[in-house]
Formats: sequence, structure tokens, C-alpha cells
Amino acid sequence: MAFVPSHRKRHKTDSGEVRLQLTSMMDMFTILLVFLLKTYSTHGQLINPSQDLTLPSSVVQHPPELGLDVVVSTDWILVNGKPVERTSTLASLDGYIIPNLQDELLRYAKESEKMEDLYGVKFSGKVTIQGDKHLPYRFLIKVMATCGQSNYPNMRLIVYTNEG
Amino acid sequence: MAYRPSRRASLSFEWIHTNITPMMNLMVVLIPLLLTSAEFVRLGVIELNLPPAAMGPEGEVLNSLPQEETRKLDLSITITDRGFFISSSLAVLGGEREGEPSVPKIKRNDNTLEYDFQTLSQKLYEIKKKATDRFSDSENIILMAEPEIDYQTIVSTMDAARSIQVNGKEELLFPNVSLSAGIF
Repeated sequence: MAFVPSHRKRHKTDSGEVRLQLTSMMDMFTILLVFLLKTYSTHGQLINPSQDLTLPSSVVQHPPELGLDVVVSTDWILVNGKPVERTSTLASLDGYIIPNLQDELLRYAKESEKMEDLYGVKFSGKVTIQGDKHLPYRFLIKVMATCGQSNYPNMRLIVYTNEG
Repeated sequence: MAYRPSRRASLSFEWIHTNITPMMNLMVVLIPLLLTSAEFVRLGVIELNLPPAAMGPEGEVLNSLPQEETRKLDLSITITDRGFFISSSLAVLGGEREGEPSVPKIKRNDNTLEYDFQTLSQKLYEIKKKATDRFSDSENIILMAEPEIDYQTIVSTMDAARSIQVNGKEELLFPNVSLSAGIF
């Protein structure tokens, strides 16, 4: 008698169950997870670089700190996001002090000193300066001189960090 | 006698599927979380601290201060459109010819001139080696620039003056950089 293959066995080899192959997706996710964990920073982004300027790049590894935000973009000088003076007026300005910028800075300094008296929040005199990388030195020095003369002597120049 | 089917043939290899659903759940939660807090652009800061200005008119303060006992180096770099001039209280570091910058610009491949930060670092390193222990201000450097020099050049010069890589090791040069209004 000829051998008759069992029906039961045939059913087993051709089961109707369809399974998703998730292994490659898991591999991808694992790599992504490791990469993201590596770039994770606990303090988050303290300083948001302005849109209409390109910061210069540097090799410094010093992490950013909080301070009064002064932005010197191609069109405007902004203090904490509020425009105070057109950058183009710096060219025709005599001396190193920019009057509108100084008024604004002194106002902030006064508020901070009031805060120090009332709540004991120490006034650090820190100011972060974001400048476009093509900003000429004569403009930069005027902005810095004004900050220095307006109770903000501790300047932080914001730069992009090149990873070495 | 009835035919007995082979046992070996029915011994099929049972494929065990790992249940990766909880792992997937974890990934789906973790990845968006980390993506939102990831920093793709790394920012740094250059610290420049001025002495407080609340000291009255500059001239008076300077006159009332006692005379300096220690010798000062007063090293400074002047950035011009031709290159860098390195100078101290004693002398200006000469270039190859009279009136030439200490570190002139170099030609790139496409015939445009660019600043030579490597040579500047190298020269400052030589000065640093000689100046350490002999001057009280062998950490300080003053930066001056012509009015039209752009911000990127200033920042790169500060980098060149701050440290140098010697045999794969980082050596500090003059980390206390101050800016001077200088030549206007």
C-alpha cells in the first residue's frame, strides 16, 4: 500500500497565521534611541538663536548661561526680543554709547536691582550677546561698550560650538 | 499491521516568537520624548568680564593707583586687513619685511587671502613659553581690530589666542582675552 501523507501534518506547515516581522524596525529604533540619548541634554535649550542672523562658530566648550538677551541682527538691535535701535544707525553714531540701547539696559538693570532688594535674587550683570558673524568690529565694540556702561559688565558672546 | 507514521517527521521545530510589544510601546514613548529635548545645534559662550565701571572717571583712578611693581607683558594682537600684528609693551613682533604684519594673510587655493590662525597660535605659543614666570600677566591678551573686521574673524582670533593643540594635547595660551576699541 502506498504511503498516504497525513492531512494533519499538511495543515501545520501551512498555518493561516500571519506575523509581522518587527525585528528590523526594532534595530532601527534601538540605534535611534542610543543616538538621541547621547545628544540628550538635561538643561534643555537655554538660548534660542535668533532667526535673522548667523552666529559665528568657535571651539569653546563653555555651556550657555542665562542672562539678559541682546541680539544684534542685520536690521535691529533687540533687548529681550524688543527692538530698540536700527543697526544701520550705528554707522553714523559718534562715540561708543548707543543711547536707546543704554536706556533700555538701564531700565532692565534697575528692575533687576529692585528684584534683588525685594526677593534677594542676585543681580549678576550678565548679558548674552548674539551677533551676526559678518557684523563689523566697530558695531560690536559699540554694543559692548554700551553694555559695559549700563551695569552689564559680564558679557557672554554666543557662538556655535564646533564639535572637535 | 497498520503502518505507523514516522515520529521524527511530526517533530516539527516550534518557532518561539518573542513578545516585543511592550518594548515597542517603550520605544514609541521614548523616541518622541528624546526628539523634542534633543539639541541639534550646540551653543557655547565666550566670557568677557569687564571690571565694574563704577570707579569714577578713568584718569583719576589711574593716577591714584600705586605704581606697578611687577613687569607687565601687555601682549596684544591687532587684526588688520593685511594680517595680524603681535605686539607687547617691549616691541612689535616683526614680519618678514619691514612694515609687514607679524602673521600675514595666506593665499588659499582659489587665490583669495585668508587669515592664518595656525601660525598665529604657533607664534603665541612661542611667546607663551618665554613669558610664563617672567611676567605677571602671562594669561592676558588684548585684541584690537580695524573697524571693518567681521565678528567671525574676532571670534576665531580669540580661539587661536586661547589654546593650541600641541602633539594632540591642548595647551592654554592666553585665556583672558579683552577687547580694545583700539584704532578708529
